[in-house]
Order: sequence, then structure tokens, then C-alpha cells
Amino acid sequence: MTEVLRSAALFTPEIALTTGLLLVVLVDASGASWRNTVGRFLTVATLALALFLALRLLPAGSPGASIFSGMVVVDPLGLFFKVILLAASLLTVLLFTFRNSRELFGLGHGEFYALLLAVTLSNLLMAASNDIVMLYLSLEMVSITSYVMVAYMKGDRMSNEASLKYLLFGAVSTGAMLYGLSLLYGMTGTTSLPHIQEFLTGDLSTQGRKAVYLTTFLITAGFGFKVAAVPFHFWCPDVYQGAPTPVTAFLSVAPKAAGFAIMLRFFFGSMAQAGTGPWDLAGTIDWPQLLMVVSVLTMTVGNVAALTQTNMKRLLAYSSIAHAGYIMMGVVALSANGARGMMIYLAAYLFMNLGAFLVVTLVHLQDGTFDLRDYAGLYRRAPLLTVAMGIFLLSLVGIPPFVGFMGKLYVFAAIVERGPEYWWYAVAAAVNAAIAAFYYFRIMKTMAIDAGNENKPAFALAFADGAAVFLLAAANFLPIFFWSGIEGWARQSLTLYAGR
Amino acid sequence: MPIGAVVFWILALVTVGSAAVVVLARSLIYSAFALLFTFFGVAGLYVLLGADFLAATQLLIYVGGILVLLLFGVMLTHKIYDLDLRSEITQPWAGPLVAGGIFVILTAIAVQTEWATGAPRPPAPTTRTIGEMFMGPFLLPFEAASILLLVALMGAAMIVRRKKDA
Amino acid sequence: MITLPHYLVVSAALFSLGMLGILTRRNAVNVLMGVELVLNSANLNLVAFSRFGPGNLGGQLFAVFVIVIAAAEVAVALAIVLTLYRLRRTPNLDEADILKG
Repeated sequence: MTEVLRSAALFTPEIALTTGLLLVVLVDASGASWRNTVGRFLTVATLALALFLALRLLPAGSPGASIFSGMVVVDPLGLFFKVILLAASLLTVLLFTFRNSRELFGLGHGEFYALLLAVTLSNLLMAASNDIVMLYLSLEMVSITSYVMVAYMKGDRMSNEASLKYLLFGAVSTGAMLYGLSLLYGMTGTTSLPHIQEFLTGDLSTQGRKAVYLTTFLITAGFGFKVAAVPFHFWCPDVYQGAPTPVTAFLSVAPKAAGFAIMLRFFFGSMAQAGTGPWDLAGTIDWPQLLMVVSVLTMTVGNVAALTQTNMKRLLAYSSIAHAGYIMMGVVALSANGARGMMIYLAAYLFMNLGAFLVVTLVHLQDGTFDLRDYAGLYRRAPLLTVAMGIFLLSLVGIPPFVGFMGKLYVFAAIVERGPEYWWYAVAAAVNAAIAAFYYFRIMKTMAIDAGNENKPAFALAFADGAAVFLLAAANFLPIFFWSGIEGWARQSLTLYAGR
Repeated sequence: MPIGAVVFWILALVTVGSAAVVVLARSLIYSAFALLFTFFGVAGLYVLLGADFLAATQLLIYVGGILVLLLFGVMLTHKIYDLDLRSEITQPWAGPLVAGGIFVILTAIAVQTEWATGAPRPPAPTTRTIGEMFMGPFLLPFEAASILLLVALMGAAMIVRRKKDA
Repeated sequence: MITLPHYLVVSAALFSLGMLGILTRRNAVNVLMGVELVLNSANLNLVAFSRFGPGNLGGQLFAVFVIVIAAAEVAVALAIVLTLYRLRRTPNLDEADILKG
């Protein structure tokens, strides 16, 4: 009992989320006329409270603690990810309302908020899992709630098809991952990650090594599915296109970040200090080579496929696949700088991607289209929106002084400093960034320079939406002035809890 | 051959055989009923492995819940007969080849690896220990699973409901 | 004498058959059955390891959670299949082709 109480003290954000979730469900079930407003208010309040609690959870310099009998661990790295995840959910609720999204119009509010709170809770659990039972459970929780969110427009065929493809693909990937996890349990006799990592870093016979290769391959299927890495990315464009755009925006950021958090925790072995040099490789298994190949494939497939897309949602889907490839550079670097690069990239990615999707939603609200060709001449009709979109796109390309550049800078630096055998990888990534610039600039050119659509009515932009777009654009631009603070926070968070 | 081994082989044959029927049968109804036998076979294997609670759970939930749901799905969508076992694009031998390869690899790994082993012990009732573990070390996954079920229930009901939402 | 590898080979067979079903079947409910075979094979692994390994019941606990998750997944899957059927009149994956590529 004391163990539970002690653990609960470090579990406050999740407890807040659960309470909020249950309250939202009750409010929606009441059927009262005010339930939509109250539900929205409750959701925002819960997320804000959870964010506040997460920021205050650990005193600075604390190495963290393992709670709930080692199921979940609270450490600085996990908290950094939790803050990103909570910010992603909070921004999604604030930016995308039922009024500015044509796709969500007329659908139930309460279930959406409940699902959002549930998926946030699951994401937090995923970022903190320290046991393979918790890992699998939280991963499936995120997946199943996502399937429902994608199917939200239940009268729409695309939405249903997308969620079915998502579900079947996800079920297969996580089924394979489960088989791998069961083999891991068989080899070590325990479900606890620290014990498993001890086993993996120790002496392995040749037979044992073969089994570990197989297990890693199977488990990577599950992780690869969650972050949409090649060759587990096939669901991504269809699902992003079929889901309501707010859900797409959320999926492109939050489950991806949670997936990377769990990859970091799983592959990095039992590390403790915010170190300076490369961390130990877990045993003699060549994680970096395998992940390097996956990363390059992911970037390339994402960027090349995006070149020919005209549907904005599919284009951004392929773009986010490519970005997952860049983020993986941080994992491949297998160093403190790599982890830090990954964290900074994810934080930057949150603001650039949500911004891009918000603009797409607003254009859809006004013109009812996701086709890039209908974006022509947008500059004349909605200059603020076009400029903001330009900022988001420049950030996605990775041009200074926007935050996207900082993210890329850190992961590239982490790779380059690892030595000459990694340089081909950095070059491949740079080439990919150049390819990506093609389609991002093409969007900007279409909006700003292309003629067309002059006969369309003037763009009616609500004040709240305009303000939101403006603030996000500023968020892509201003952090450069506070950079030492942000970088310091990232560096402080580089501690993985190493205990049992 | 001792009785334990005979029972094992019977159960193994029932399980794998009916699984093959699930995958290869032309009619969806045949597949669904073969799946019933697979689940029963697996439950029997659990009993042989001394997992009494788990065997009961398997029967209650897999057979009594999941299989019933699948049968509902089959009945309500009226697709009793498949037109073809394969889609037109891939070669007919690709699937069985991949599956066969997977089986060979997995068996090789299964037989060669040194798994973590402990002293042989007689099978014991597990229900009490499992209950204690649910309330002890595995408390958090237990509670998280209840949230999962709530959300899945809500979500599934919301998707299927015909009534207009506000 | 029935040893651990015996059970592991049975579960390997189930896994392979499940994968075969997933790769070759066109009907969504059939693919779902393949997924259930895969999950059962992993569960069998877990219980077998629990029995023959050091005395903890972690494997069996894990298996209970897998069963719970499978139930939730199938519920959501069938809800979607049903809605798709209502809208499209077919649960066949090949005919779910509005989303190209």
C-alpha cells in the first residue's frame, strides 16, 4: 500500500488525466445542453493541469525513480517527452475546434475529448514504460484509441477504410512485436526492462545472439509501425488522408514522439549519466547499422513519394515519414548528443507540423479542398495565412533561423561527430533535405506566385484562428532568442533512470 | 508413450490442424468454426502447462467473447463465401513460401537457443498467485487495462451507432 | 517427454499459419482471424516459458493482458468492419480502394 502511495505521488499528471477523462465521459453522458462547452473546458483544464504537474514533478538534478514496482519509471528524459506529448494534446484541442474543422462539424464532441485524453494518457504511459508488459499494453492503448479517432467520421467511406487499414496493419505489426517480446521473456525469465538490458549487454553465445537478432527484428516491427518507418509505413498516407485533419495533425506528432521515447529507452541500454561521449552499445548487436539503413530508407521513401503528391494531407503524411527518418538519426548516433538532438527536433517538429496542418484545415474550411492546385493565389486572398504557412514550410525544410533548422543541426552534428564511418549517412540525410526542399518550395510557389482562383470569395478568417496561426508562426521563429535556456533544459533531461 | 505425451500430441494436432483450416478454408463460416477448435486446443495446452486460470480465461474471453464477436461480424456482413483465396497481383506460391520460411526460422531458433530454465516443479494452482500479483506488482497495468476497455467500449459503440450526434 | 521446444514449435506453427492467413486473405474478418492466431501463438510462448523457466508467473500475467487487448481490438475492428459494410456493402480489402496507393 505504501508503495502505491509513494508511486502515486510521482504519477500526478496521469492521475489528473484519468480524472479528467472520467469527468468528461460523465458530462457527455449527462445529455445536458451545456455538455459540449463544459467538456471542452474540462479537457483544456485537465491537459493544462497535467502539463503544469509534469513540469514540477522532479526537482532539478534528481535521477528519477522507478514506481509501481518497476512498471513505470519517472526520470528527466521521460518528463521531457511527457511535456512534449501534453503540449501536443493541449495545442490540438486549442487549435482545432469543432467550428474551424469542416470534417468534424456535426460530430459528437464528448467522445472526441474523451478519446483525446485517453490517447494522451496512453502516450504518457508509453514514454515511461520500464517493463515489457507495460510497453505492450501502452502501445496497444495508443493504437486502439488512434484507430477509433481515425474512424471518427463514421459516415465517411475514406475515414472507415483508413481506420480499417490502420487497424489491420497495426494489429499485424504489434502481433509480430508481441512474439518477439515473448522470446525476450523466454531468454531472460523476466519482464522487467532493466534486467533484460543487463542480459543483452552481457555475454551472449552465438545461439543466443541469433535469437536476439530475430527478437530485435520483430520488436522493430512494432516500433517501426508506431513511428511510420520504412518498411512499416504503408498505412501512413492512407490513414493521414482519411482521418479528420485535426486527428491527422495529432497523430503526426504525439504517437510518433511517444514511439521515439520508447525506442530510446529500449535500445539505449541501462545508461545513467548525461554523458559526453558515445554510450555503450548493448552487447555486441549492431543496433546502429540496422537503424541507419531503416532511417535512410525512411527519409528517401518519404521525400521521393512526397514529390508527386497533390493532396496536401498525403503530402504532409509523406513529409512526416521523412522527418521520422531524420529523428532516427538521433537514435543511431547512440550518444547523449544524439538523444538531445532527437528531443530538440521533436519539440521543433511539434510546432512546425501542427502549424502546417492548421493552415490546411483552415483552407479546407473556407474552400473545401485539400488539393494543392487549389492553393494557387492564396497570397492575394489570405496574406497572413500564406506568410505563416511559408514560415512553417521553411522550418520544415530546415532553414535558419527557424526551429526546424535547430533540430536538424543538432541531429546532424551528433552523427558527424561520431566519426568518418557515419559520414555517408549524414550526406544521405543532407541530400534528402535538399530533395524535400523541392516540394516545400513548390507549395510556397503555388500559394504566392501562381495565378488562379481569383474568382473565389474573400477568405474569411476568424480572429481566433488568425491569432492561433500567428502565435504558432512566432513559436517557430522566436525560440532562437531563448536558445540557451531551451538547450539547457534538454541537456538536463538527458538522464535515463538506471535503477531497478 | 506416457499419457501426458499422448494428450500433448492430440492437442497439438487439433490446434495446428484447425489453424490450417482457418487459414485455408474457402468459406468464412468454416474458418470461424475451425478457429473455435484452435482456441479450445490452446486452452487445453494451457492446462497441460499448469496454467489453470489462464485456460479458463481463454475459454471465457476468446471463445465466449472474441469468437462470438467474429461470428456476429461474419453473419452481419453476409459474406459467407470467398471468391478467391488470392488477390490477382501476387503469385500463389509467395504466401506459403514466406510462411514456410518463417516457420523454419522460428523452429530453428526455438530448438537451438538456451532459454532461461528453472528447476522442474509440479504444477500448482495459479489463481491465487495471479490475483495477488494483480494487486501487487502488476497493479498499474491492471488499472490501465480497465481504462483501455472503457475507451474501446465507448469507441466501438460510437462508431457503430446510427443515431445522429449533437 | 514433452519439453519446452515441443511447445515452441507448436507456437511457431501457429504464428506461421497466422502470417499466411494475413498475407493471403482478402476478407477483413479473415485477416483478423490470422491476427488472433498470431496472438495466441505468442501467448502459448509466454505460458510455456513461464512453466519451464524460473518460477515467476510474469508470462501468464502478460498473457492475460494480451487476451484483454485482443478483445478490445476485435471489438473496435468489427465496429469498423460493420460500418464499412454498411457504407460499401463489402468487407473485402481489395474493394476498399477509394484511398489509392
